[in-house]
Amino acid sequence: MNFPIWELHWAGGGLLIALIAVFHVYVAHFAIGGGLFLVVTEHLAYRRGSQPILDYTKRHTKFFLIVTLVLGGISGVGIWFIISLVSPAATSQLIHTFVFAWAIEWVFFLTEIVALFIYFYTFGKMSRRNHLTIGWLYFFFGWMSLFMINGIIGFMLTPGDWLTTKDFWDGFFNPSFWPALAFRTFIALILAGLYGFVTATWEKDAQTRETLVRYCATWLLAPFAFLLLSGWWYISALPEASQTMVLGANPEIAPYMQGFLWISAILFAGGLIMAVRMPAAIKRPMALVLLIIGLLYMGCFETMREAGRRPYLIHGYMYSNSILVGTEEAITAEGYLKSSGWNRHQEVTPDNAMAAGRELFRGQCAACHSIGGPLHDIKRLGAGYGTVGMDAQIAGMGKIYAYMPRFVGTEPERKALAAYIVHELVGESETAEQMPPRPEIGLDIPAFDSDADEYVLLAWCNLGEKCISDSDSRFSLLPPGSTLIAQLIRRGPQPELVTSGVELTFTPPAGFENPSNHVEFWKYAPSLVGKELEPNVSAKGLGMSGVMKPNEQNQTFIADGIPVLPYMDDGTINPYPVFTIEARDTASGKILASTKVVAPISTEIGCKNCHGGTWRHEGVMGISVTTASDVLARHDRRHKTQLLPQAEAGKPVLCQSCHPDPLLNATGNPELLNLPAAIHGFHANYLSDAPGAEPCHSCHPTGPDSYTYCARGVHAAQGLTCVNCHGTLEDHALTLLKAEKEAGKPKAELLMRHVKPRLVASIEEIESRTPWNDQPDCLNCHVDFEAPEGDNPSAFNQWVRGPAGLYRTRADDAGLMCESCHGSTHAEFPATNAFHPDLDAIQPLQYQGHPGPIGSKGNCAVCHTEDMYYEFHHPNILGRP
Amino acid sequence: MDPTPLIPQALPIPVEWGWFYLFQMLTFILHILVMNVMLGSSIIALVHHLRGKAESEPLTRSISLKLPFTIAFAVNFGVAPLLFIQVLYGQFLYTSSVLMSVYWISVVGLVILAYGSAYIYDFRYVSLGALRTVFIAVTTLCLLATAFIYTNNMTLMLSPLTWAEYFENPWGTILNLGDPTVLPRYLHIVVSSIAVAGLALALLYKFTGKNDPTAQRWVKHGVDWYAYSTMVQMALGLWFLTALPEHVSSLLLGGSLPHTLVFATGAILGIFSISNALSYNVVSTAILSLTTIILMLFLRDMVRDAYLAPYFHVSDRVVTGEYLPLVLFILTLAAGLCVLAWMLRTAATDSEVRS
Repeated sequence: MNFPIWELHWAGGGLLIALIAVFHVYVAHFAIGGGLFLVVTEHLAYRRGSQPILDYTKRHTKFFLIVTLVLGGISGVGIWFIISLVSPAATSQLIHTFVFAWAIEWVFFLTEIVALFIYFYTFGKMSRRNHLTIGWLYFFFGWMSLFMINGIIGFMLTPGDWLTTKDFWDGFFNPSFWPALAFRTFIALILAGLYGFVTATWEKDAQTRETLVRYCATWLLAPFAFLLLSGWWYISALPEASQTMVLGANPEIAPYMQGFLWISAILFAGGLIMAVRMPAAIKRPMALVLLIIGLLYMGCFETMREAGRRPYLIHGYMYSNSILVGTEEAITAEGYLKSSGWNRHQEVTPDNAMAAGRELFRGQCAACHSIGGPLHDIKRLGAGYGTVGMDAQIAGMGKIYAYMPRFVGTEPERKALAAYIVHELVGESETAEQMPPRPEIGLDIPAFDSDADEYVLLAWCNLGEKCISDSDSRFSLLPPGSTLIAQLIRRGPQPELVTSGVELTFTPPAGFENPSNHVEFWKYAPSLVGKELEPNVSAKGLGMSGVMKPNEQNQTFIADGIPVLPYMDDGTINPYPVFTIEARDTASGKILASTKVVAPISTEIGCKNCHGGTWRHEGVMGISVTTASDVLARHDRRHKTQLLPQAEAGKPVLCQSCHPDPLLNATGNPELLNLPAAIHGFHANYLSDAPGAEPCHSCHPTGPDSYTYCARGVHAAQGLTCVNCHGTLEDHALTLLKAEKEAGKPKAELLMRHVKPRLVASIEEIESRTPWNDQPDCLNCHVDFEAPEGDNPSAFNQWVRGPAGLYRTRADDAGLMCESCHGSTHAEFPATNAFHPDLDAIQPLQYQGHPGPIGSKGNCAVCHTEDMYYEFHHPNILGRP
Repeated sequence: MDPTPLIPQALPIPVEWGWFYLFQMLTFILHILVMNVMLGSSIIALVHHLRGKAESEPLTRSISLKLPFTIAFAVNFGVAPLLFIQVLYGQFLYTSSVLMSVYWISVVGLVILAYGSAYIYDFRYVSLGALRTVFIAVTTLCLLATAFIYTNNMTLMLSPLTWAEYFENPWGTILNLGDPTVLPRYLHIVVSSIAVAGLALALLYKFTGKNDPTAQRWVKHGVDWYAYSTMVQMALGLWFLTALPEHVSSLLLGGSLPHTLVFATGAILGIFSISNALSYNVVSTAILSLTTIILMLFLRDMVRDAYLAPYFHVSDRVVTGEYLPLVLFILTLAAGLCVLAWMLRTAATDSEVRS
């Protein structure tokens, strides 16, 4: 809306409007209720023939005259002035739409002044009948002023049909007009009593004073029931969005609602106490205190009303920052800076980023956010974010929580704004974090004698990367417990899978034996997993070394729940510990075969990118207490939970104790979104502006810049990313959310509202899926086990319905698991590891001397002891002739 | 720099612009008259207090009694034209107001202070003694400051070319002091206030002081204020005229018949009013003066449009054609005026001490 914007800094965020408006409204409502009070009290004096009451009325009129004319009248004009300075676009809209309503209000303002002057200056001089008529006229004109202004204020909150018709009357007699008028009328009556106390307690004659104070108390107390009833009517007349905003959808507003209810009780009690006979010395200060409490009362009400309007100035028409509804997309396409000539920088360049950021802040944020001031202080609210986090915060604004408008503008504009807030306003100095060098890892490939050895032992971790949340004092979403699986093959022309008569053991590498020395999981295990655990033993009862359980069904051996962590006793952080697996003959104890396998493990979960704090360990990985506390604080704020105080009291929770999650077989509270849907669905609203895998890298250690860099497999080497199999963050989130929506969970819809798919045209085309169980099928791209066509294949949106069909659980007709020969997901052979090139290729190198899949390049003899010519395991296994 | 990109878009208006122009003009005339009396009489009272002669006490007491009324009505009569001018010229006025936000919003505090101080000056006149000077000075200075701020805003809104100063100063502390018309325009309105207030005092004493032997003295006193300040006013008017940009002043000096005619008639009637004042013909002075004021206010509007001509024509607006609210306003205004008349008549005829 092309108006210049007054840069208010400390006094910004609507502070000036709030101060002037609350003050004015407090006096203005008194001017209405007090008008009735005057004339009714004058009547009372005549009826009782009481000169003291008449004298009091005259005295109170003088007080009333000065307060309402000097403070009320001028501050009313003051509101008009201040709104036109702070929100000229909205003010202009109100003036142009309702010019004749304002003009009519001005007539009432004029007649009100004249009536009041005459009422005061002719007090005791005019005939009773005429004087009372003037008094009644004053009240009528005052109330009609309220009638007019109420229509315009209500319009801003509930414009109703005006949004489509643009008709004056639709806007004026809007849906909240009548309840608001009733509510304000009752407030006005209550205030009449409250102000009446001030003059009544100063009455010198004790008897008259008591009579008058009780009389005022009646004014205060009698309308209360009606006030609360009309308040309820008012709230129920609001559209659902405003209603939920007032009733606490905006966490900042909850205290005002509570304040309003508490002050209702305090004022009521105050009214009762005032009616008790007490010396003037007590009642006078009490009257003043009640008057101040009344001001707070008004403040609470007006703040809630304003809150009900969020994120608009005129609901559904103009956002709080004066951007018109319906223009967002055009502005985003063109650039926000170009939308107003008052922006000196019409587009962001590397040279002007800070100055442009300042203009963006001024245009889109400053209407509600002060800089270091008492209202919505951006320095406080923006503290702890880096530019990445702030950028995400801005990108997601107004999408899930509707009390802030969405950012409109281009991506460079958003980034400039984020940088300006973080660097200039909050003053966070952001130095690019230097990742420490990865440790040197020595690796001996175990020996294999292809002539003499009778067995081949293949082992792998069931996940390409096991991530652990080590924020145990705050929460856990991934407790320690890795799974290693092995298959033992007796070599020969017809090899056999061996599952009996042998014992397989797993042993950790030196330095990894004591995970419980490095994290607090064991300390908080009773709270997190419901039981005390021995040190270095996982919830599933497994220690760091032990015997793998045979699984006859798929002819494997499994160690499910090894509590391995990336933290070594000497302080080294190594996400790729190499376990030794040995197969022994049960009877003789003779070692039949031995191999090594990586148990990839990382705590590199990037919560800190947005939630503040640093990495927990050595600037490399781990979720710090600061970061985790922020996560909980936000969860508490949004979902009215008590997770942070609970954690601080030593009772942290496992996220899956509420959120269902197939990974942990957690049923949780079935009404809530499952954890992957909740986390991906929520964050997709904030991290969704990159078409590639960058958003994935914000949280997972999947990017080449990460320390762990878990994408080690052949897919990564070919240049494929997360997106090729899982879709972008938006696509990925939508697959999960859509399933939850189909399961009837309304929250899913809320999270989906602003998330648009990238790889398919519409949400209708998204194939919903259950997390962990339904995953992309390798054969989507590798049709008939051939190499995929094209450079950029996509496996997205065609799911294997698991868990039975998943790559990590599938086997060929011989019972050989896919992962036996091809390696773990994300580390498919030939794999390369950033810590040591051979870490993820131990068995291929051990058995065949090259890192490709077991048996590839004509190495059938690894198991078969001779060359084979029949593609038994799967088509194309021998390659093209 | 081309200021066009800085000028906000004008919003549609419900009825033809002429209605707003009419209401604006009618209410602005009332505002200017009452405002002149308010500012001028407070200056006159202050001058008398500073001179400290006890003999002028009846005059200052009389001013003290009426000053709060004039403030109340100056504000009220100011609200209406400000409303209508926002409808017609909002895109200019909002913009200039934002550029000088700090000063503009301080008007609210200044007027509250002036008003409050005026009430103390009135209600405590007798007991204040020497402190009267302090309170009337507070009122006067606050009102003078308010007038200065208004002059700045009303000229800044006409000068989009200077708006780019915002890029250096977005903190709302821009004044239009670089404009050579600001000072003469400000002094022009202040001195006219003194003149009008003098005349108003003369009229007051002439019509209410029939049984008061001293009244004639104050009638003459008031007319003197009028005559001498209007002479000064003529000089200030010339200064103002020469300070106007040439494309505007040339319109007044023969470049355009309507402009020249209104200007010349107003000026001549003003000169006549001085000669009438020097002969103490209060009523004819008042009639001439009122006519001059009305003509000058018309001229003021014509000058504004001349300033804005490169960017905007007041008639060039989208009209939505929503007439019912206008009709309702006119009916309310008519009813309000009837009730006002009844109230004022009742107050005048039925107010003697009864208890």
